[in-house]
Amino acid sequence: MEILRVENISKVYGTKRSAKQFRALNNISFSVKKGEFLGVMGPSGSGKTTLLNIIGSIDRPTTGRCIIDGQDLTKLNKNQLAQHRIKNIGFIFQDYNLLETMTLKENIILPLALHGYKVREMEAKLARLSHDLGITGVLDKYPYEVSGGEQQRAAACRAVITNPKIILADEPTGNLDSKSGRALLDLLTLINQKYQATILMVTHDVFAASYCQKIMFIRDGEIYNELYAGESKRQFFDAIIDVMSVLGGADNEADYFSHS
Amino acid sequence: MKLITLAIRNIKRSFSKYAMYFFALSFSVFTVYSFLALMYNDQVMAKFTYSDRYRAMLISFGVVIFVFVAFFLISSNNSFIRARKKEISTYSLFGMTNRKIGWLLFVETMIVGSAALVVGLAVGIFASKLIAMILLNLTLTHFVGDVEFSTAPKVVYLTVVPFLLVFGVIGLTGRWVIGRFELIDLFKANKMPETRFKGSILLLLFSLMLMGTGYYLAAWRDPLLLMMLALPILVLVIVGTFLFFRGGLPKILSWLQNRRSYYRGDNLIAVSTFNHRLKSISGLMAAIAVLSAVAVTVIASGYTLYATVEKSTYDAVGYDLYFYTNDEQVLHDVRAAFAEHDVAVIMEHTTYRYQARPRTDMFVAAEWEFGTPDTYYRIYPQSEFNQLLRAARERYPQADVGKGEAVLAVRTGNNELLEKEWVGRKLDFSNSSLTVTACMDLDITDFGAYYTVVVNDSDFTALMENGDIITTDSGKSPFDRVTVVKYENPLGSHDLNRRLNQVLAGRVSSYRLAYNHYIDALENFGLVCFIGFFMSIVFILMTASLLYFKQIMAAQEERHLYQTLRKIGIRPQQEARVITKRLLPVFFIPLLLGFLHSIFAMKSADTMVFSGMLAVENSYLIVLKFSAAMYLGYGLVYGIFYLITRRQYINIVS
Ligand SMILES: Nc1ncnc2c1ncn2[C@@H]1O[C@H](COP(=O)(O)OP(=O)(O)OP(=O)(O)O)[C@@H](O)[C@H]1O
Ligand SMILES: [Mg+2]
Repeated sequence: MEILRVENISKVYGTKRSAKQFRALNNISFSVKKGEFLGVMGPSGSGKTTLLNIIGSIDRPTTGRCIIDGQDLTKLNKNQLAQHRIKNIGFIFQDYNLLETMTLKENIILPLALHGYKVREMEAKLARLSHDLGITGVLDKYPYEVSGGEQQRAAACRAVITNPKIILADEPTGNLDSKSGRALLDLLTLINQKYQATILMVTHDVFAASYCQKIMFIRDGEIYNELYAGESKRQFFDAIIDVMSVLGGADNEADYFSHS
Repeated sequence: MKLITLAIRNIKRSFSKYAMYFFALSFSVFTVYSFLALMYNDQVMAKFTYSDRYRAMLISFGVVIFVFVAFFLISSNNSFIRARKKEISTYSLFGMTNRKIGWLLFVETMIVGSAALVVGLAVGIFASKLIAMILLNLTLTHFVGDVEFSTAPKVVYLTVVPFLLVFGVIGLTGRWVIGRFELIDLFKANKMPETRFKGSILLLLFSLMLMGTGYYLAAWRDPLLLMMLALPILVLVIVGTFLFFRGGLPKILSWLQNRRSYYRGDNLIAVSTFNHRLKSISGLMAAIAVLSAVAVTVIASGYTLYATVEKSTYDAVGYDLYFYTNDEQVLHDVRAAFAEHDVAVIMEHTTYRYQARPRTDMFVAAEWEFGTPDTYYRIYPQSEFNQLLRAARERYPQADVGKGEAVLAVRTGNNELLEKEWVGRKLDFSNSSLTVTACMDLDITDFGAYYTVVVNDSDFTALMENGDIITTDSGKSPFDRVTVVKYENPLGSHDLNRRLNQVLAGRVSSYRLAYNHYIDALENFGLVCFIGFFMSIVFILMTASLLYFKQIMAAQEERHLYQTLRKIGIRPQQEARVITKRLLPVFFIPLLLGFLHSIFAMKSADTMVFSGMLAVENSYLIVLKFSAAMYLGYGLVYGIFYLITRRQYINIVS
């Protein structure tokens, strides 16, 4: 079943008249099936974050439509969009975006709190997730008191705690060591399988990408290539490296994989 | 040269951001200039400095203003530098020496300061005539004509020099402040939230106890004791207020954070954010609470005095005019004065000052002693007494005394207590006795005695025949008779009243003119009122602009928070609610606490001043009524600042 369809989306930064127009996305179309774990790769500046923002309805496309679960996002008003985001979408941002005035715990349950959940429910969900991600010990600390990796995991926790239909992750493993990076990827996989959550993950990390069922490569705002995971993870990994070496912009993670 | 270009560019770029800072600086200049201009205005000085009391009042008002302006300049400058930490650290990172940065700050401060001086002075020169007019008109009912107002160069000079000095010092301290910055702190400054106050239950209880004790003492009913306690009360309440914001409020917040309702989305955001701001703002909030209390108390007192002048005049004097004399010529001259100025006399009545010494038991009622050997009473037949009442300005119920009865009139403020003691008692005259059946709370018929007794006309005649009533002193010379006069427009007929003063002064043993009392009171209270309003405006504008300033700084740091919230999916109305919950407490907790302080301060003021002035059972209620009007006004102006701040805050975060 199709959960997300992107139709001819373009995004142009800068005002129409100004000379400094920049086309970050150029007429992109694709669709994602429910329960899919999709990776998005591409060189820096290729428009990955822009694409994710549009799908997450944080940003509006200049032209084109984005349809989630049969609902055309361009037709929703501000209120409905906010409702939609909180109910259907979980974000893991490139720069965490944790609120500095709140403890990790408060940050994580924030979406539930905005949604009006009961305290007991919130705490039950929180306990399970934070255990899976290994941040139970730092829940009462403030973001500036914990490491970048812990912040990133808390951000992941916040994204998945509402059981969203689609999880949008922008380089979620960018700041993690291999162990916690893998824990996060395992968690995403688990959520993907257990709750049939659809995941779109932007990454530069080939190892992280190899967790995906499908990789979409973007260059200069256009889809450049697609790869499907086959029987062997190793083959998939090599194929990704091949494409990325043409595209440029991948971290060299070959050693990383062989050691793990 | 390059430094100046950079300075000018910086100012230009951040002008909209710091418009409020500029406004605040200009306003302090304006305030100081206006005050000095008043002090150096001949007419104003001639009016107010003949009495040391007024001079002391004006000077202490001046001191308050200067202290406040200094406080204001220092704290706004601190916020200003803090807000620029990031920018300063960037200069530093790219190799600008601290010395050079210091110079840059100095040049900037001097440019902005000079501009503020020019604007403040211009507005001050323009408005000071207006201010003097308002002051004189408020305080002098019969003030007509123009105020001479030339701009004294001396005043300009006296304003400019200290301010340039202050700006210079502020500019130079910038150098000192950045010397203490660590580069790493600077970069963290924007990212790292201010550390939180945990608050402590001990501080909370202690602060409440201090304020409570202050309140308790302020509600004391003994005016003399209150006078002595004034300073301790002030200290208790002020220290309590600061401790409350420093340690008590954070504790309350952390309690709120432990409640379930805290986890409702908007509470969670607003409370935690507010909590993080508390450290930088608790001192200011406490200052605002105290200052608002002071300002509001002064205007409330001034206004109550001003609004009750007429009533208090008649409570003190009773009649438009009365005088003691047996000289027919004086009476004639007085009548001539009325005719000359064409003012209609409504009623004129002359009475003997009858005196009687009936015996009673010795006892005390409503704090008055009765039955002592030297107790004597003014005594009137009912008809005469009622004539006097009719001649009084205030409407009193007429007395109706039966045969064998007596009514006692004493000004006690607590008639019930008096009646409880008195009703049923007997006044024993030489061969008759009268039973007291009622008491009245008034003293306008005493004319020198403490107590008045009213009896039935026929009883009065009998007592007179019996020799119980005397109209002469021991040397057999008659007491001066009293003449009371009620006439049209008694407080407005300036010329007539001046003439009456001429006619009566020195020729009668005593006289009182409601007009004199009224004018005195107006001059006195008008000044208090004026100072109150001026001070309130200064306080409101400065404290509110400081708050505004801090919140705008905060908004710049909190932008990020709202961006994230929007990404998570907060609804626009929910966001508006969060902003309200975030800002409202900052503005209104201090204000409400200030009002509470003031309510108790007004209680003291009532005990010390108003209860003696207003002849009503519960003068505090009247005082509160007038105070409430002033609280409302103050709150409204303050509320406008809240709205401006909220609007600007929303502009920044969205
Ligand atoms: N608000 C903006 N205004 C103008 N241009 C923008 C804006 N946001 C992004 N861009 C430009 O759009 C292009 C795509 O940006 P985007 O953030 O989507 O890249 P990305 O693929 O996520 O890169 P990275 O891997 O470095 O995160 C970039 O060239 C960027 O400079
Ligand atoms: Mg990106």
